[in-house]
Amino acid sequence: MSTAAPDTFNGPIIDAEDLWRTYEMGAEEIHALRGVTFKIDKGEYVAVMGPSGSGKSTLMNLIGCLDTPTSGTYVLRGKVVSEMDDDELAAIRNREIGFVFQTFNLLPRASALHNVELPLVYAGIPRDERIEKARQALEMVDLGDRVTHKPNELSGGQRQRVAVARALVMNPSILLADEPTGNLDTATGQDIMALFDRLKEAGHTIILVTHEREIADHAQRTIHIRDGQIESDERRTS
Amino acid sequence: MPFTEAIRTALQSLRTNKLRSFLTVLGILIGVSSVIAVVAITEGLDAYISNQVLALGSRSFRLQKQPDIITSHEEWKEMMKRKRIELDDLEAVRKACTQCAEVGASVGTGGSAKRGRTIHKDVRIIGITENISRIGAVRELAQGRHLVQQDIDQAGRVGVVGMDLVDGLFGSVDPMGKEIDVDGNKIRIVGVAEPKGAIFGQSQDNFIWIPITTFQKLYGSRRSISIQAEAVSMERFEDAQDQVRLAMRNRRHLTYLKDDDFSIETGESIMDLWQTATRGIYVVTIVVTAISLLIGGIVVMNIMLVSVTERIQEIGVRKALGARRGDILRQFLVESVVLSGFGGLLGVLGAAGIALGLGSVIGSMMSLDFSAPVRPWAVGLALGVSSVVGLVAGLYPASRAAALDPVEALRNE
Repeated sequence: MSTAAPDTFNGPIIDAEDLWRTYEMGAEEIHALRGVTFKIDKGEYVAVMGPSGSGKSTLMNLIGCLDTPTSGTYVLRGKVVSEMDDDELAAIRNREIGFVFQTFNLLPRASALHNVELPLVYAGIPRDERIEKARQALEMVDLGDRVTHKPNELSGGQRQRVAVARALVMNPSILLADEPTGNLDTATGQDIMALFDRLKEAGHTIILVTHEREIADHAQRTIHIRDGQIESDERRTS
Repeated sequence: MPFTEAIRTALQSLRTNKLRSFLTVLGILIGVSSVIAVVAITEGLDAYISNQVLALGSRSFRLQKQPDIITSHEEWKEMMKRKRIELDDLEAVRKACTQCAEVGASVGTGGSAKRGRTIHKDVRIIGITENISRIGAVRELAQGRHLVQQDIDQAGRVGVVGMDLVDGLFGSVDPMGKEIDVDGNKIRIVGVAEPKGAIFGQSQDNFIWIPITTFQKLYGSRRSISIQAEAVSMERFEDAQDQVRLAMRNRRHLTYLKDDDFSIETGESIMDLWQTATRGIYVVTIVVTAISLLIGGIVVMNIMLVSVTERIQEIGVRKALGARRGDILRQFLVESVVLSGFGGLLGVLGAAGIALGLGSVIGSMMSLDFSAPVRPWAVGLALGVSSVVGLVAGLYPASRAAALDPVEALRNE
């Protein structure tokens, strides 16, 4: 199991201050987020919960640097993300965020190895090194013998593990998982959650977006979102 | 995203949609293969024609009543008014042209030759001066002797025949010294010309040469003769023509302002005409190609738009993983260029097939030595142009893909 990158950065990984996100639907303004403030430290395992329409997905997009807030500041590892342009955001996503999606989002025509290689491709890493790193990442999720398989030749759990390998291959600051077990049966879902537990032990910072209590219970901290605001932020001492 | 990676991705998508890719590039394929094939075939014909023209002799020219090729009815009517060229003109030209190595003349008609009951029709009967076989393309003999000055002076009833006549009238019998009946007149064969085969299916060996004086006795002297001259050297070629022209203008008393009322034909004038014709072919080809490439480009653009729409989610994923706008733009541009470049490549192969096939068909149909070479520059140009078409056609779809919002793209199902 890999450990998170040695980091000289001491502050919180995420420092979000009064985040607002407003969508314009014709003449109407919809406030998906209404002033959200929180901090996440290095090595934390945080679950973000909330019913659909609560603003949970909007918050995930902001945390994942896929979108920028309408107002407020979002600082990721000391960098002010909320003022970045498209290409700077792309570079931040590439280096700092590892995404795990509910629907896996693997490229169907590419092998497991090539899927895991993709973030390295966009980081401009030479081919030999890419293949080496991608192979290591796949071995870490116990798929060392499946590198040449295409997604449709893998089970759901295996696909999600390929996605986790892809998320970790750049050694990001945070692993951002959006309903990672939503498309898996219970047993396979538990396997994935066990993998997350191991990653947490290895020092990774994990943010888990879910609506399932059981899944959220794997995290040590749970942030509840309702109507675009933080309803509660609980830490469990385990 | 490095280029090699973009090309890898492009080839993969090409492989995944084989039939679609092929149909997409059909327009480009047709455009490219037609341009290469036409270039190859015209070049083949070019080479063939200039070979034939060279065979006419590069230092020789002809003085005739009218040009070889008349392009309008008005011109033809004008030509009919011209005075014929006669043996007296030959003498005058021979005297005036100091830069001519040889000056001779010929005049011909169609007729038939008989031996016993065997008739050979459509024979070219040509009256010549004795030096004709030395002007322009030298014609060697397979047997016997050429006509000599004495034959001309005496208007002897002798002739040199082409191989077709020998084959048609004598078979395996030796023709030397035998008499044949040419349009009712007895002619004794003194020589047989070496066979030359056919040009455009027209036999070059179906003729009989007789002295020009004999010809005029048998067929009258009302036909205009063709004076043939050979300059002493390539450098004196123009001078020789000028001397002949001047001599003729003096004889015809043409004042300074009047045009020539005779024609001087060189190998070059045939080449010029041929090149004017091929230029027309090239222009038509370029227009056809431009149209098919335009349509091909539109089809490529359309399919690239489809491809972008199909892969919106993939674009979202790539952006989430760190692809910048430029990365996505490059990926789809490369795919578009590879797609149409692939069409160009198929077009080159198609053209090679067409050129080879047509070349051998033309060759065997006209029984001539003909090849249509596929030129590297034509191939390079075709591939270059098809790649540019791909680049232009891919620009809009690729920039649409690059501009997609990652959140929207990821949400797309």
